[in-house]
Amino acid sequence: MMEYQDQLKLQSYLDGELPEAGAREIAARIEGDQEASALLNELAQTHKALAGFEDGIKLPESREFYWSKIQREIRRQEIPAPTRAPQVPFLNRLRRFLIPATGVAVISLLALIATKETGSGGGDASVETALQDSGAFTYHDDTAGATLVWLSYPADNEIAEDDDLNSLD
Amino acid sequence: MRANLRVTRAMGWACAALMALGSIQLQARAAELKLQTQLVWGTDDAKPPEGKNYKPVEPDILKKLRELPLKWKNYFEVKRTDFALSPALTKKIPLSEKCELNVLNQSNSTVEVSLIGKGKEVVKRTQAFPRGEILVLGGNAPNATAWLVIVKRTD
Repeated sequence: MMEYQDQLKLQSYLDGELPEAGAREIAARIEGDQEASALLNELAQTHKALAGFEDGIKLPESREFYWSKIQREIRRQEIPAPTRAPQVPFLNRLRRFLIPATGVAVISLLALIATKETGSGGGDASVETALQDSGAFTYHDDTAGATLVWLSYPADNEIAEDDDLNSLD
Repeated sequence: MRANLRVTRAMGWACAALMALGSIQLQARAAELKLQTQLVWGTDDAKPPEGKNYKPVEPDILKKLRELPLKWKNYFEVKRTDFALSPALTKKIPLSEKCELNVLNQSNSTVEVSLIGKGKEVVKRTQAFPRGEILVLGGNAPNATAWLVIVKRTD
């Protein structure tokens, strides 16, 4: 079995591409090696057959230009086509819009509630009454939403009998 | 498509930021309280005294007064004052020549109400003042009647 490099040298010999010394060496080997001689014969037959085929094919343009077109096409196919981003459904886009918006809205609402601006936070924690009147009392009704501070502070002049501004002394 | 997605997300965040900004501004506006004080006369008489054009108190106030341990059958509005109060500001509301009400907005709907009589502080009350809440300061008046000062939110 011939080495692969030897087979290539044999092909080069057939094509006349070997230097003179190499050609002599291969020629000597062919004479003494039956396998090499058979391979050379086979290569020569194949060359003749292909040469016959090539003669029948006429390219519409020059050989270089024809092969360069094939090369360009191969390279073009090797470049991966840019992958298109998958279509995102409208609902998904809407959800991506609403999630942050809703989150911030909820936080804002909680902040509003926490600061008692909605009016629902009574919070008796801050209730404080300072009375100078020992006879006074404080009453708070949660359901009515009313606080009464009753004083023994006298109103010397009756509201209805006196001028408005003099109703309370 | 990817660019559209980014724009949509950016719009979402922008809207969220605007909503947050709006709520902050709402809070800032809400910090100003609109209040009303009413000087009210409580009596068992069905009508105000002759020569006085007092009107009966409004139904919502009357309903709340009925819930309180007050014995009078009728309540007439003598004087009313509406005012707005920014945070940390005090408003003096004259009730009579010698009597006035000092109202301080302590922010977060907390209000300090002081009743001043003859230059002296008779009572000072500090409490949260959510919408719908009323504060009634009152006392006995001659002829088995009563004087009441009602403070309520109007915003």
